[in-house]
Amino acid sequence: MGYEVRGLAKSFGELRVLGGLDLEFPAGRVTVVLGPSGCGKTSLLNILAGLDADYSGEVRGFGPGKASYVFQEDRLMPWMSAMDNVALVLRRFMGKERAMAAAEEALEAVGLQGSRGSKPGAMSGGMRRRVALARAFAYPSEVLLLDEPFSSLDLRTRISVMDLFLDLRERDGRSAVVVTHDVREAIYLGSRIATLSDKPAKARDVFDLTLAKADRGFTSRAAASFEARLYESILS
Amino acid sequence: MTPGTRTSRAKADAFLAVAVLAAVWKLGSIAVGADIILPAPERVLSTLARVASDDGFVAALSATALRGLASFGVSMALGVSLGFAAGVSDRFRAMLAPVLTVTRATPVLAIILLAMIWFPSGIVPVFSAVVMAFPVAASDVAAGVRSADPRLLDMARSFGVPARDVAARIRLPSAAPHLASAARNAIGLSWKVVVAGEVLSQPAYAVGTGMQNARVMLETAEVFAWAAVGILLCAASDALFDLLSRRLSWATK
Repeated sequence: MGYEVRGLAKSFGELRVLGGLDLEFPAGRVTVVLGPSGCGKTSLLNILAGLDADYSGEVRGFGPGKASYVFQEDRLMPWMSAMDNVALVLRRFMGKERAMAAAEEALEAVGLQGSRGSKPGAMSGGMRRRVALARAFAYPSEVLLLDEPFSSLDLRTRISVMDLFLDLRERDGRSAVVVTHDVREAIYLGSRIATLSDKPAKARDVFDLTLAKADRGFTSRAAASFEARLYESILS
Repeated sequence: MTPGTRTSRAKADAFLAVAVLAAVWKLGSIAVGADIILPAPERVLSTLARVASDDGFVAALSATALRGLASFGVSMALGVSLGFAAGVSDRFRAMLAPVLTVTRATPVLAIILLAMIWFPSGIVPVFSAVVMAFPVAASDVAAGVRSADPRLLDMARSFGVPARDVAARIRLPSAAPHLASAARNAIGLSWKVVVAGEVLSQPAYAVGTGMQNARVMLETAEVFAWAAVGILLCAASDALFDLLSRRLSWATK
């Protein structure tokens, strides 16, 4: 199933943040929406997640409960263990026991089997991101929404968590929409990149990436030359 | 400075404050020169020892403690359930607001006097304390429930977490530190109102009854001694809630 928005517009009072956005998000792919900070990327994801119904235009394929949202912050309950945090979003689909077992499995998939009883306050930023990813992947959604999910991490941790995301996504095959202002992150993660103009945001260009994974790295020349094309699109 | 040093300093400062208060009291009693107006601290202490060894003391203390705890229990049960409902529902909060305002603004003596018309003497202090304390607990709990991080609530909404799980696993734990403060406020108020209610309604066994009898006999030192018993009850519950709030704030970190 395809996912798209047509003529999507959103304002906060007088301020127009989305100005008639047309975007397609092909099924089974990672679409990165790349735009300057504050251009309305989070507003777009909130609409796709069903958290914001105050918009005009058409939204197809998305809706409440259909998406797993990885927010900019971890949004983990500090009083709950990693396992309880993941299990909380699963309980309505299965009993408590099965939700706990599924949460344990999800934490194992992100390499946190030894930290399932730890509370977020006792974890590093990278570990908390992994818990947020485990929660998103464990949730039986149709699509993953990620809002600048790795930008708060140092480069080494960021690469390792991004690799983890790409591996899980590859195995899972779920469609994903990632929004970011970071060009290199967009190249690293996306199989398709849509650039946005500044407020009110409109779609500028769409790039289908054919670079091999090895050529997307932060030190890759091929990625650097592609980076220039993306900057041209954003700054034009 | 290490935390241990800070705690010791705070204890030393508290001790100093008590010593200064006792000194001022002593000087005041010397200046007044009449035990019937202001007895000396050592006189109050010896009277307290005598009162504590009297036959009816344990019964009076137990009855007042039971009334205080019963008032506290009912106030918390009412305060937590109404406060929780007011925290999650704007409409319920709007409906509860005038009730809380009226009960808060009503003079405690008016409530005690009305209770004396409606209830037997042993119940009057409990009823009055509940009426005074539950609005305080309800307001604290409602504030705690409303203080839940909206970003966590949005997360729960995006994942379709059912309302009962949001209530039990996000809103209630968010309110935990406020719950300790609600409990502390409710029990502090309960002791005061229970003793005030006992002074007026005169149950057979009560700290307040002892205080009132002493006043009638112009035994000022004994009035002070009974007041000290009330203060000790309040201090004991405060210490308990300090411990509880430390545990709750630890549990929510």
